[in-house]
Amino acid sequence: MEIVEKAKMPVVAPLDQSVMARIRRIPTAYIALWVIALICVVALLSFMGFSLCQYSFDQTSSDFLAGPSGQHWMGTDELGRDLFSRIVYGARLSIAIGLTTAAVAFVIGTLYGALSGYLGGKVDTFMMRGVDIAYSLPDLLVMILIGVLLGRGTIGILIALGLVSWMGTARLVRAQFLQLKNEEFIEAARAQGQSGWNIVFKHLLPNALGPIIVALTFTVPSAILSESTLSFIGLGLSPPACSWGTLASDGWRSLRAHPHLIFFPSLFIFITVLSFNFLGDGLRDALDPRTRLGKKSR
Amino acid sequence: MFALIVKRILLAIPVLLVVASLTFVLVRIVPGGPFDADKNLPPEIIANLNAKYHLDKPVPEQYLLYLGRLAQGDLGVSYKYVNRTVNDILADAFPVSLQLGTISLTLAVLIGVPLGAIAAVCRGRKEDVIAMFLSTLGISVPGFVIGATLIFVFAIKLRVLPVGLWESPWHVVLPAVTLAFSPAAYLARLTRASVLEIVEKDWVRTARSKGLSQWNTVLKHILRNSLIPVVTVLGPLTAIVITGSFVVEYIYAIPGMGRFFITAVMNRDYDLILGTTLVFAVLLIIANTFVDLAYQFLDPRMRIED
Repeated sequence: MEIVEKAKMPVVAPLDQSVMARIRRIPTAYIALWVIALICVVALLSFMGFSLCQYSFDQTSSDFLAGPSGQHWMGTDELGRDLFSRIVYGARLSIAIGLTTAAVAFVIGTLYGALSGYLGGKVDTFMMRGVDIAYSLPDLLVMILIGVLLGRGTIGILIALGLVSWMGTARLVRAQFLQLKNEEFIEAARAQGQSGWNIVFKHLLPNALGPIIVALTFTVPSAILSESTLSFIGLGLSPPACSWGTLASDGWRSLRAHPHLIFFPSLFIFITVLSFNFLGDGLRDALDPRTRLGKKSR
Repeated sequence: MFALIVKRILLAIPVLLVVASLTFVLVRIVPGGPFDADKNLPPEIIANLNAKYHLDKPVPEQYLLYLGRLAQGDLGVSYKYVNRTVNDILADAFPVSLQLGTISLTLAVLIGVPLGAIAAVCRGRKEDVIAMFLSTLGISVPGFVIGATLIFVFAIKLRVLPVGLWESPWHVVLPAVTLAFSPAAYLARLTRASVLEIVEKDWVRTARSKGLSQWNTVLKHILRNSLIPVVTVLGPLTAIVITGSFVVEYIYAIPGMGRFFITAVMNRDYDLILGTTLVFAVLLIIANTFVDLAYQFLDPRMRIED
């Protein structure tokens, strides 16, 4: 297990301007950053009501199940709705779910992990034991069970995702705090008589922020994957809700005759998840002082 | 070692009890019962059905009844699959999922470990970039996309393999490959990290400086030592395979645990949900116990602690 944690946990380095410069030197991460920015802007514009497409997402037409053409870039579904418009519309839900989950994981995970790591001792053992057991269960299993209770709406999915996603962050923050709290600068802060609150939020947390951000970058794609997988097997969002997962699920039923209906939503899930993963890898390398980018390490 | 196994079994009982209780509470407080879907049943019949399965009793009493049966190894009856006990269903479904899971895991190890080792040995070079690109692809593609693509290419267009179901060995190929994808990618990343850690060790430099060739050093010294953490991720790997099996068994219509779990959740088939969840929990506990044992076996330094 130790190695797994190490693979996920970069050596601590403060976040500063040089991170952006370092990202720029990792082509995959830099391209990924722009792709993510583009998708987020499109989702945001669609959310604010600026339509980028000539069709509305729920506008039906007599052009049923058409393949990709000049008029309908990605074809139409069984009600003649333009698939490209639906994918743009679905982006807001998929992206929102990913980002919200990361935000929840950040708040709950950081607070829990910080408390556990800062207090240490018996409290720490007690707080982490439960997390360890829950963490070893498959996320999807837990989410499906919670989903049984909360129903299949967007809020239900968000709560289910939030409940499973903070544990990884909590473990990471705790490990960082345990490692940092014996450093000399914390001792100095203590000697100055600073409050525990100050030490946690002004000294420990900023220094642990790099690895936390890396972990959150990986939380977004896994949330998007989980949502689409749940929706795909029919235990997530269901129509009329429209996310990339529900679109792929719709497309699955007509795989044989109209493969474009599953191809395009899948492609967007894939590109988005891939971009976040590349960005996460890049951030980790950029924040790790051991890797010297641009030079061969051997 | 024997003491450790006994200790683990004793520890597993409260964990399973907690899992059973939480799942029980979770499914019972949900509005809607197992017979809701049959809209045209007269209320008297629903009442009779509820009485037969003790669903009319207060929840705490149902809970005690359930635990009583559980202690005797009786997981209850399915409300949807008529005349079938949960034990029955699981006895049929478990071997299917076990076969699928084992084949996929083997495949994942055969692909993932060499890929990660090559990436680490060639760190920073073309091979590393390609291997890591592939493994990032592997963790970024949802299982249903891999499944749909494989079905479309090999079953629908080329017609060389069956679309689904679980009959001949040919039926195993596509589901196993689909399920192997993400554990293989996970293993590749892990092996790479682990090998990189070992490469920096002093005794690796010693081996090289006494004149051992690079590949011999890798095979005899590095790989052997870096496999310890790889063997010990069986726990997380089992979790990944269980997660994957939900999707894979759904799209290939395989009558395994994952598929029964999903349909049970959709049908609110209480006992079947509880039964499958418990089997998954037992599987994870066994995997993690095996990991602890393997640790002691592979790394003598770990034995001193006990």
